[in-house]
Amino acid sequence: MLAEGLDTLIRALAEDGFQVVGPTIDQQAIVYGEIKATSDLPRGWTDLQEAGTYRLQRREDEAYFGYVVGSHSWKKYLFPPVTLVASADLGENGWRMQTPEPDPVKYAFLGVRACELAAIRIQDQVFLGGPFVDPTYEARRSRAFIVAVNCTQAAPTCFCTSMNTGPRCDSDFDLALTETSSGFLIEIGTDAGQVIAALLPVRPANSTEIDQAEIARQRAADQITRRLDTDGLRDLLMNNLRHPHWEEIAQRCLSCTNCTMVCPTCFCSSVSEVPDLTGEHVDRERHWDSCFNLDFSNMNGSPTRNSISSRYRQWMTHKLATWHDQFGSSGCVGCGRCITWCPVGIDLTREVVALRDTTGNDLSRLSDSNAESAEANR
Amino acid sequence: MTSAITAPRFDPWRTHAVRVARKTPEVPGVFTCDLAIQEATVASTYRFAPGQFNMLYIPGLGEIAISICDDPQSRGSVAHTIRIAGNVTHALSELAVGSTLGLRGPFGVGWPIDEYRGRDLVLVAGGIGLAPLRPLICHLLAHRQEFGEIHLIMGAREPSGLLYSAEYSAWQDGGLNVYPTVDRGDDSWPGHIGMVTAILDRLPLCRPAETVMMSCGPETMMWYAAQIAIDRGVRPESVYVSLERNMNCAIGLCGHCQFGPQFLCKDGPIFSYNRVASIMKVADL
Amino acid sequence: MSNVGRKQPVSIVTVYKGNTAMTMDQPNLLKMLCATRFAEGLSHEHLACLCRAGRLVRLSPNQLLFREGDTEDEVFVISSGHVRLAMNIPGRGDVPFLTAGPGDLVGWSGLISDGRMTATATTVDETTLIALSGKRLQELCNCEKDLGYVLLRRVAQVLSQRLLSTRLQMLDLFEKEQTQKVS
Ligand SMILES: Cc1cc2nc3c(=O)[nH]c(=O)nc-3n(C[C@H](O)[C@H](O)[C@H](O)COP(=O)(O)OP(=O)(O)OC[C@H]3O[C@@H](n4cnc5c(N)ncnc54)[C@H](O)[C@@H]3O)c2cc1C
Ligand code: SF4
Ligand code: SF4
Repeated sequence: MLAEGLDTLIRALAEDGFQVVGPTIDQQAIVYGEIKATSDLPRGWTDLQEAGTYRLQRREDEAYFGYVVGSHSWKKYLFPPVTLVASADLGENGWRMQTPEPDPVKYAFLGVRACELAAIRIQDQVFLGGPFVDPTYEARRSRAFIVAVNCTQAAPTCFCTSMNTGPRCDSDFDLALTETSSGFLIEIGTDAGQVIAALLPVRPANSTEIDQAEIARQRAADQITRRLDTDGLRDLLMNNLRHPHWEEIAQRCLSCTNCTMVCPTCFCSSVSEVPDLTGEHVDRERHWDSCFNLDFSNMNGSPTRNSISSRYRQWMTHKLATWHDQFGSSGCVGCGRCITWCPVGIDLTREVVALRDTTGNDLSRLSDSNAESAEANR
Repeated sequence: MTSAITAPRFDPWRTHAVRVARKTPEVPGVFTCDLAIQEATVASTYRFAPGQFNMLYIPGLGEIAISICDDPQSRGSVAHTIRIAGNVTHALSELAVGSTLGLRGPFGVGWPIDEYRGRDLVLVAGGIGLAPLRPLICHLLAHRQEFGEIHLIMGAREPSGLLYSAEYSAWQDGGLNVYPTVDRGDDSWPGHIGMVTAILDRLPLCRPAETVMMSCGPETMMWYAAQIAIDRGVRPESVYVSLERNMNCAIGLCGHCQFGPQFLCKDGPIFSYNRVASIMKVADL
Repeated sequence: MSNVGRKQPVSIVTVYKGNTAMTMDQPNLLKMLCATRFAEGLSHEHLACLCRAGRLVRLSPNQLLFREGDTEDEVFVISSGHVRLAMNIPGRGDVPFLTAGPGDLVGWSGLISDGRMTATATTVDETTLIALSGKRLQELCNCEKDLGYVLLRRVAQVLSQRLLSTRLQMLDLFEKEQTQKVS
């Protein structure tokens, strides 16, 4: 498909009733927003990322998807930052509680990266895989159409290869694109994808085009330098809950919650009461919350996790250790967002190295009793 | 479209309107609230297991987790014993009989009592921790012959803090050995003075390896009660504790009640000691 | 023990002053001592040794066993029944702080120090105690180091349990049930 075909794709999806959302430039960053036409895409722009740094830069070419990932992720559509979960009305017979019909919105996600497909799989497990299913997530997820786009470059913050989540999109998409200098190579993942693909100006790819796409994808893989050694990681963390390094991190961490807000898998939330002026109608709004917030663990008037070290420990051990117990996978897909968007540049991969390097000496003595725990908690 | 998602299931946010059917003062600062579910079809099918909890909701103020303290066989209303702690509990204490509020539940896993037919039981409660044990006590009284010895040790700060004290003699008559104890006694209190651990320490246990302990109360109390029970030969996997953390959604989706790998709301609040022992003493977890 | 239904206030009706002891033959005393929790971990020979310094004491409810500030020679192992320990605070009277029961050791000052009692002990119900002479025990321990070690180790264990219970009581875990479990 030639680049011009992208407009046909956007139109076809819109005509099928989808609200097309994808990458666009806002406030000097590539974020996800409504896409009406290719002109909304960040064509010719790329992002420079490092721990604590994000900057847009002109590309030398006019690529549409020549960037990595920004601060947004698709979770803002599937698990919106604010959701109405219930409401209450005071009538003659007292309070009546209702739950809203899920919003029938149908999203088409344009430009989903491999690590983001993995993040969606992880949130599927959280919101749909347990004894209770979240109705909002379920409604939005079941209707979503996913156009994945393979990465052809990587940022220094990326480590999907360590997490086995990318950079190649291999499943869980309706359509997957690979952008090359001569256009887009399309893979079809589902019947729904097939139906849309049939409306596009496409022809079978020749072997040169297939090779070109492969080279472009390989470039992304080759650019990945960051590593997270996941070998025995769960037990390493759970056996070191009293490691002094948590304190050391707390000297730097501001407990600002950025890392949790940008993370595509973080799912913590709280429900607030929003009464109208009469007090006779109350909306119950669920909003994103964070384990870095002090009152998140409030119990009997005081927080259980009163220190930054205990909150950082909660975040990291949840992501990289207890997530395995709870949902059968790591909670991290290696997208690097938390590294880029941390105002003080805390990098979880380096903190893991620091924990690893200082374990096994006399410090491990402090955590002996937790070794059994690792076993018992399986 | 990309995932195999089934048709919408039951909505976990669905909140039932309930009416305050009765309010009973218990010990100072604590009251029991019997709530009648308004919708007849819901009311007639509402069942719970001993140890489960409900989310009680006052519109505009918030929703809180409260254990069910009723007899699992009782019908018509569901009793909750509530300690006035802050905003929502205070508002609950002010509700008049006949007022409406919301209820979601029941949630959580109960006491694993069916696994332990034929065993000896030791129940250890501290303060309001007796509330979630009360449905279990009702169950045991109704099925007394299915169990061996049953001991119930409960502690309170002072004699006036002993919850449900009017029921003790009926429990005793029903075949439970009831041992109330208080931290601070005086001359008008003829009963036991000291921690529940002191009684547990010298409780006659004929077959400790066949004995099960279930406890609910301050975490520190449960921890030491577990140590003593295990010291005395009770198997660690037969010791159960009921934990508390901040709880927001009760359905495992909000992240608040995590305790290491556990979600208290859906994996607990009742855990075998084995499962949580290694992290119970990690500070600020 | 169960105090269900017990409503009568505690009032001291009889004063025990060391001479209302029952006589009992040694084998029976040994059997009773063996049956207590205190005997756990002590060998039969050691327990028999202890019994040679002991006698049996049976008291009815509300009898004074010893009084805070007095000097006593005997140390008691409770065989059955309960003893309430209290300390006198001017203006507040006797403030009870602990109920000791079967297997517990009371009056242990006689074993490890000069025998000055740090609490007043009163029986709650029919109580049987094994009274051991502190002086004789100390002599025994001095010449039989083995027994001394084992006995004092056992006493230390018992006291550490007592200390733990006291600490938990002091922590006031149920005060507002603060920072702890409610559910
Ligand atoms: C599984 C479970 C069972 C419980 N069972 C009982 C019971 O049977 N009887 C009883 O009296 N109490 C029980 N509690 C404790 C009860 O939930 C709290 O006392 C109550 O949430 C305090 O609310 P408040 O608004 O009055 O207090 P405030 O201090 O004014 O408000 C604190 C707010 O924090 C939030 N919160 C969430 N979880 C907690 C928590 N665990 N403790 C305090 N605040 C919390 C709530 O939104 C609450 O409104 C239980 C708790 C749990 C987790
Ligand atoms: S923890 Fe960081 S790198 Fe991992 S998925 Fe979340 S934001 Fe991405
Ligand atoms: S790690 Fe960084 S982004 Fe996360 S809370 Fe701490 S300072 Fe904020």
